[in-house]
Amino acid sequence: MKKIFSTFVGFASVALAQAQNRFPKPDFESGYQYPDLEYAVPDETLWNVLDVTMLVALLVAATWAVMKKRKPMIWISLVSVLYFGFLREGCVCSVGSIQNVALAFVDGSYQMPWNVLAFFLLPIVFAFLFGRVFCAGVCPMGALQELVNVKNGRISKPVAMVLGLLPWLYLILTILYAVTRSRFLVCEFDPFIGIFRLGGDVELLVFGILLLIISVFTGRPFCRFLCPYGALLSLFSAVSWKKVEITKKKCINCDLCHNSCPVDAIRPPYANTDKEERREGVKRLLGYMLLMPLLMILGALLMRMSAEGLSRAHKDVRLYDMVVAYEALDAPETIPLEVEGFYMRNGTLDELTVVKDSIVAEYRTYGTWAGALMGMVLAIALIRFSVKRRRETYEIDNAACVACGRCFEYCPQNREIGKSDIEK
Amino acid sequence: MKDDKKITSPLKRREFLRMCGTAIAGGSVIAAGSTLALKSKGAKGNVFWQIDPAKCTQCGRCETHCVLPVSAVKCIHANRVCGYCDLCGGYYISNVKDLNTAAENMMCPTGAITRQFVEDPYFEYTINEDLCNGCGKCVKGCSSFGNGSLYLQIKQDICVQCNECKIAQVCVSDAIQRVDFATAYKLKE
Repeated sequence: MKKIFSTFVGFASVALAQAQNRFPKPDFESGYQYPDLEYAVPDETLWNVLDVTMLVALLVAATWAVMKKRKPMIWISLVSVLYFGFLREGCVCSVGSIQNVALAFVDGSYQMPWNVLAFFLLPIVFAFLFGRVFCAGVCPMGALQELVNVKNGRISKPVAMVLGLLPWLYLILTILYAVTRSRFLVCEFDPFIGIFRLGGDVELLVFGILLLIISVFTGRPFCRFLCPYGALLSLFSAVSWKKVEITKKKCINCDLCHNSCPVDAIRPPYANTDKEERREGVKRLLGYMLLMPLLMILGALLMRMSAEGLSRAHKDVRLYDMVVAYEALDAPETIPLEVEGFYMRNGTLDELTVVKDSIVAEYRTYGTWAGALMGMVLAIALIRFSVKRRRETYEIDNAACVACGRCFEYCPQNREIGKSDIEK
Repeated sequence: MKDDKKITSPLKRREFLRMCGTAIAGGSVIAAGSTLALKSKGAKGNVFWQIDPAKCTQCGRCETHCVLPVSAVKCIHANRVCGYCDLCGGYYISNVKDLNTAAENMMCPTGAITRQFVEDPYFEYTINEDLCNGCGKCVKGCSSFGNGSLYLQIKQDICVQCNECKIAQVCVSDAIQRVDFATAYKLKE
């Protein structure tokens, strides 16, 4: 596909002056001409523009559907799965763009392409304005799970809460690994890429298919319990300018919408009858708030201490371990490829130690921050779990709501009274 | 805010907190957006992966670790560097007995290298890209015994430009780097 638009770059590249020149250039007497080889660089500009255009178009369509309580979400999902999923094979994706953005923040030499920036920012902007319309059906991974979803099996509250912490931890780890230039976790462990590319790592394919089977029985397991970008978006959708509402009219507490939600984001009315003293509630809240710094310090310390272990994710640290292990041997029989490569580029252990130490130091700094954030996530989850809120009607938890719009058609208030109803 | 002694409705407090949240979220969107936009302004984007031939040690992992069924890494031949030798280290195995095209004499396991007689004693070598699997055996032979005109490179028309190159993760010589459009090919000349 990408070969269609090709720009030809001839011998424009830098001359690499490292040819060994054991043999002199031949003097041809027969008038032999060197063949002119040209190497094509695919010009992706058109595809990039098309990708971003599709993203904007689908986001606008999803927003319109959510605002007007219409139901084209299945078509948006289908288009997204076909275009972003199968045609573009899952790349560029907003979930992965977190890593590019994190890398661009710390590494000056890394230039982030503009389309990756668009894929990172646009869904956030839309989430801030209208809620998680990106998750609704524009994200091919969410759309794929949405399309296969049949039943909305409920997961018990405490379990869902604990699992709901996973995306946050995943997000923090992803950023930690990206800013230390170790690896791109999200790309490496993307469960759906194998499905979109019709092949790939067997383990990941099995995982992806397993997730799809689960999402037949309960909505969107990946979005709720794994997706780091969803966690990021929930920050913005929780305080968004316009909120996703079940109905624009008054809720009549009929409970019909409650079971329609695939991600369990609709909260039923709650009387909060077991009255407790106001002072006591405040005390408990303050207790949890005091626990927050404690948890943050604990997390920071734990992550700081495990910096050495975490840094193994970096190639150079692994190489250091290998070289040390190899040099400790008395009479090594085989040399690992990595170590051989290391010696071939005239590397010395001292240099490598410096590199390794700087990486571990980086892990220590960033790891401390990551640990503090993890502690904060845990503390906020505890606070949220302890706060009891009175609700008079069915309300959407805007952080968890993926704006799929299934509740709209279940709400009798959204039905316009047609002619047939009047005749009855 | 009014500092009423009476307990105000919890809904108002909730609304106030929401508004604070909205302001913070909106502010951070604008701040992060403009910072990132400034950062990527005019940047072509380091989206292409390339091997630095000066660093490559032909460990053989390009053949096995690419996400594609047949690696996007191919052998490229720089004719202007080549010595046009008859006894080519990339064409024949080392210690070859008879200089003929019998399979046991050939270096390339897939038969992707062909040669054509130019004039005595010179031969022109050509890589058949469809057969090449990027194993780098010929490259190793050529750099050990010849001018180093054969080298491995990522073909941009085949490479799918993963966000992170699987081969780069395991490259033993750190030879695979992100490059931008202008340097999308690091060629030997």
